[in-house]
Amino acid sequence: MARTGVFICHCGHNIASIVAVEEVVKFARTLPGVVVADHNLYSCSEEGLSAIKTSIKQNNLDRVVVAACTPRTHEPLFRKICEEAGINKYLFEFVNIREHCSWIHAKEPGPATEKAKRLVAMGVSKAALLEPQAETESSVTPTAVVIGGGLAGLTAAASLVAQDIDTHLVEQEGEIGGHLSRVSVLAPEFDESRKLLDSLMSGLAGSEKAHIHLRSKLKDVHGFVGNFEVTIDEHGKELKIPAGAILVATGAQEFQPVGEYGFGELQGTITQLDLEKMLSEGKAPNRTVFIQCVGSRQPGREYCSRICCNTSLKNALRILDLNPKAAVTIIHRDIMSYGTAWEELYRRASERGVRFLRYALANPTKVTRKDGSLLVEVYDETLAERINVEADVVVLATPMVSRENSGDVSKMLKVPRDKYGFFLEAHVKLRPVEFATDGVFICGSARWPSSAKEVMCQALAAAAKAAIPIKRGKVIIEAITAWADPDKCAACGNCVTACPYEAVEIATQDGKQIAKVNDAQCKGCGACVAACPNDAMQQRGFTTRQLGAMIDSLVKNALEAEQ
Amino acid sequence: MTEFEPTILAFCCNWCSYAGADLAGVSRLQMPPNVHIVRVMCSASVKPEYAIKAISQGIDGVLVLGCHIGDCHYMTGNHRTAKRFPVVQKLLEDVGIDKTRLRLDWVSAAEGEKFQKVVTEFVEDVKRLGPNPLKEVRF
Amino acid sequence: MHKDVGQSGGLAMKQKVVVIGGGIAGIQASLDIADLGYEVHLVERSPSIGGRMAQLDKTFPTNDCSMCILSPKMIMCAGHENIHLHTYSEVTGVTGKFPKLKVTVKHKARYINIARCTGCGDCVAKCPVKVMNEFEEGLSKRKAIYLPFPQAVPRKVTIDAEHCRMITEKKCGVCKKVCQAGAIDYEQKDEFVKIGAAAVVIATGFDLSDTSKLPQHGMGVCKDVVTSLQLERILSASGPTGGHLVRASDGMEPKKLAFVQCVGSRDAKAFRYCSSVCCMYATKEAILVREHVPDINSTIFYMDMRATGKGFQEFVLRAQANYGVRYIRSRPAIVQPAHGESGVLVTYETGGAASEQLTEEFDMLVVCPALVPSKGSVELAELMGARLGEDRFIMTPSLRNPVDSTKKGVLVCGFAGEPMDIPDSVAQASGVAARVAELLQEAG
Repeated sequence: MARTGVFICHCGHNIASIVAVEEVVKFARTLPGVVVADHNLYSCSEEGLSAIKTSIKQNNLDRVVVAACTPRTHEPLFRKICEEAGINKYLFEFVNIREHCSWIHAKEPGPATEKAKRLVAMGVSKAALLEPQAETESSVTPTAVVIGGGLAGLTAAASLVAQDIDTHLVEQEGEIGGHLSRVSVLAPEFDESRKLLDSLMSGLAGSEKAHIHLRSKLKDVHGFVGNFEVTIDEHGKELKIPAGAILVATGAQEFQPVGEYGFGELQGTITQLDLEKMLSEGKAPNRTVFIQCVGSRQPGREYCSRICCNTSLKNALRILDLNPKAAVTIIHRDIMSYGTAWEELYRRASERGVRFLRYALANPTKVTRKDGSLLVEVYDETLAERINVEADVVVLATPMVSRENSGDVSKMLKVPRDKYGFFLEAHVKLRPVEFATDGVFICGSARWPSSAKEVMCQALAAAAKAAIPIKRGKVIIEAITAWADPDKCAACGNCVTACPYEAVEIATQDGKQIAKVNDAQCKGCGACVAACPNDAMQQRGFTTRQLGAMIDSLVKNALEAEQ
Repeated sequence: MTEFEPTILAFCCNWCSYAGADLAGVSRLQMPPNVHIVRVMCSASVKPEYAIKAISQGIDGVLVLGCHIGDCHYMTGNHRTAKRFPVVQKLLEDVGIDKTRLRLDWVSAAEGEKFQKVVTEFVEDVKRLGPNPLKEVRF
Repeated sequence: MHKDVGQSGGLAMKQKVVVIGGGIAGIQASLDIADLGYEVHLVERSPSIGGRMAQLDKTFPTNDCSMCILSPKMIMCAGHENIHLHTYSEVTGVTGKFPKLKVTVKHKARYINIARCTGCGDCVAKCPVKVMNEFEEGLSKRKAIYLPFPQAVPRKVTIDAEHCRMITEKKCGVCKKVCQAGAIDYEQKDEFVKIGAAAVVIATGFDLSDTSKLPQHGMGVCKDVVTSLQLERILSASGPTGGHLVRASDGMEPKKLAFVQCVGSRDAKAFRYCSSVCCMYATKEAILVREHVPDINSTIFYMDMRATGKGFQEFVLRAQANYGVRYIRSRPAIVQPAHGESGVLVTYETGGAASEQLTEEFDMLVVCPALVPSKGSVELAELMGARLGEDRFIMTPSLRNPVDSTKKGVLVCGFAGEPMDIPDSVAQASGVAARVAELLQEAG
């Protein structure tokens, strides 16, 4: 039989001016299992907490119910007090009689008091059925695996290594660098990518914590946060790497606009990376036309690839640096030079004579060859005029698109992608570098086309998130996870389907097939509980018996009052 | 004869509707004292059995409040709730209980006023329905 | 009174980091740095953490309720064993250099005993003084003793000394009489603490620029012109109008709403840069107003529609297709009152084939002002020894270390360094945490 202590809070005037606290205390004393009921002016104050601790010890309590404000504020505080007084912190129940009672029934003190009594009784009946819980601690392998050796992967790996974390970098090509090796100058500050690459590599090459695997591909992944087993194919050889965290930094690729604007047919129609090659060899065309949004911001691929306008601005200025008399025209639909430095680049380009013409999807631009030059016919929306521009080179600024093999990575890691194939983070606003699956992180253009600086910030962010469980050495799971009663479980699999986190699987235990919950993955939502037809699936702290007891309690106290 | 005061049980999810109820409280939005909240982590964990048990034992109305579709803290939970509750309502109907004694709605953590509205309306609706006929048939 | 925090060496003490600014960037940085095992001192000059995000109704492109996603992070900050909140506080001095910085923090007198205050609000109810409410962007009043907003963290009141009758005239004293916790202390003084920190993070966010300096856009001239942030408060269910979209002149629901982008931005005479987030938030607001007034029509006057993030372009397309939002590429020449005090007349050039000058009437107008580094950030940067750019954002010039300021050990995240939205601020804040860990590892 439980030995429950009930503590009703006055919260100054806030509860006590409406709810007759002492009446509730008297009522609480009549409830099953309640050995002591008391009240405090402010339960959360030093005095109040101290009084509760003393009462726990003096009365040998094994369950504590506090009726006060919302648990969302002070539940951790009272749980700590219970622990300090020697009671398992999961044997504590919080009843809200302020936000949910005194404050909203201010004109009906009588009914509010009766409701407070019923709420307290519900809390007491649940508390009686609470079980002590031990928080599961899962150990963490102090190793990180970074998939992708481009700017994102290198930055993340360099940071992890600098934090003294064992890191494996897995790169499918024969050399490190990804697009960083293919683009020689990075805007907006015109940094040399060679220097950046060397700097990142020097952080890695010198450290025994860094393990770089070239010509290597991800082959398989098992496990969960802290305890992954990553299998890679290192040019023919299979290698298994135990890891605590996995970072996806697989980047993106340039869309090849085959069939658009004569690409592939008309000589001189090239992509941004083709132009990059020319510029890095010191060759700048005399007459260049950039066409923006080729293959993006249109039906089928609605997104804006964020970096193309700024890349064209950078390259326009590089052309002019190499060839001051060059003619450069940028044909666009909007110029996406957001922020400070990009907007500055737009202004500089304009001041240096780059011509900007604006087109709309409704009036497409035409590119043909005429008399040995390329001829670009554009309808400018502002002037409402058709303008012809001759060019030696027409640069088709295309979007970054998801890599062809991102689907394989997605399947192996069981992480989602959006409709364009970019990886889908846990929460677009507040968890931009995490996946919903714990322990797996995302950064760089694999998530969304990003500038060099943005890629690096995201990579650092992913490194921080990966470092957290690794540095802690353990993952602590709040004990509100689910479990299946082996006697009732029929292994129907409803729970497996219901779980958004792949935390449940059907496994064999003692020769029987039952649902098994991986505590480390379980987020304590309880979706599996309601999906279970046999009452086998239960959630700690919210069991069917506990909630059922609350219903019984309400029925008893409310309906008895009616009679 | 005193006016019938319904007894109502509400399941509120920790992240949205419970927080919305808290905000209603903080904003001192007044409402009738008939509703008793049981806190759950997600509306998807509310078993049909709870609603059935409550109503079969004489509770006049059951309210299930979750996050708006698309905002579920556990991603897909409220989709399950949305699919599940019409079925429970049908069940009630089949045994002759007015299905509007069970109501499902979405209240976000910032919708104190909506919480007040839903509670006030539901209490009025259940009052109009009268006492749960199963009260006479206590098991 | 000076208190020294963390002076004594000895036992394996956690290294300390000071984070300046309690908005979403500062909160995220604090949480990650604390999770990595360091002791964080989060300094926020207003009475509560939360920053601009706490003022928003919803956030683009998902239209998530802003407070709903922010509040749990604020609570985590307050409850984290490694985070010490210093609210209503400012950094007044920094000496030393990485990794031994000495940061002086002034705890401004709140006239409240924090340990005793339970945030019950009895005092606020009785205070006789009404003052302009900063959180509500001047649209309503608060008391001289106040909680800045219902979900404030910490949930403690503050007495605004400038307007409190007891502090200024030795009259009144009602709050002390009604406080049952004995938390009112009129004798309280500013307190200074010195924190021995290994690194400092600047996350001081932004302010709206003063658009009354550009009267051609209507602010200060027409009654029915509001700023975008004021509109957020109007749309908020817990805001000054209870979430009812009404205009100031006559309380009428507007049916025709205009948004003017780039007010003061991309402007050689005001601020040359682009504030980055306004195209998106204007689109968001234009969508949201339909939820309040179903037959409202919005027009957005813009220069370039910068919707470059994930899901952003689709958001804009949806606004056009499903929410009747009209996008007009034009910078209005002038905004004037329409009828006496009510409504606005917007004069603009249409461009294109039928280029002409039009004057159109709207019921209400929203200016989207240039967003500037927050007040005091210039002085703070100087104090820190961190260089500012021409536009007064804190420079992070090294691409190799993208969150480092020019002063070693001083890091930057969020809007304080560059106009950016919430996801980018959060990512950069977490990035700062990694950098802190690297630096502190180096320092041993």
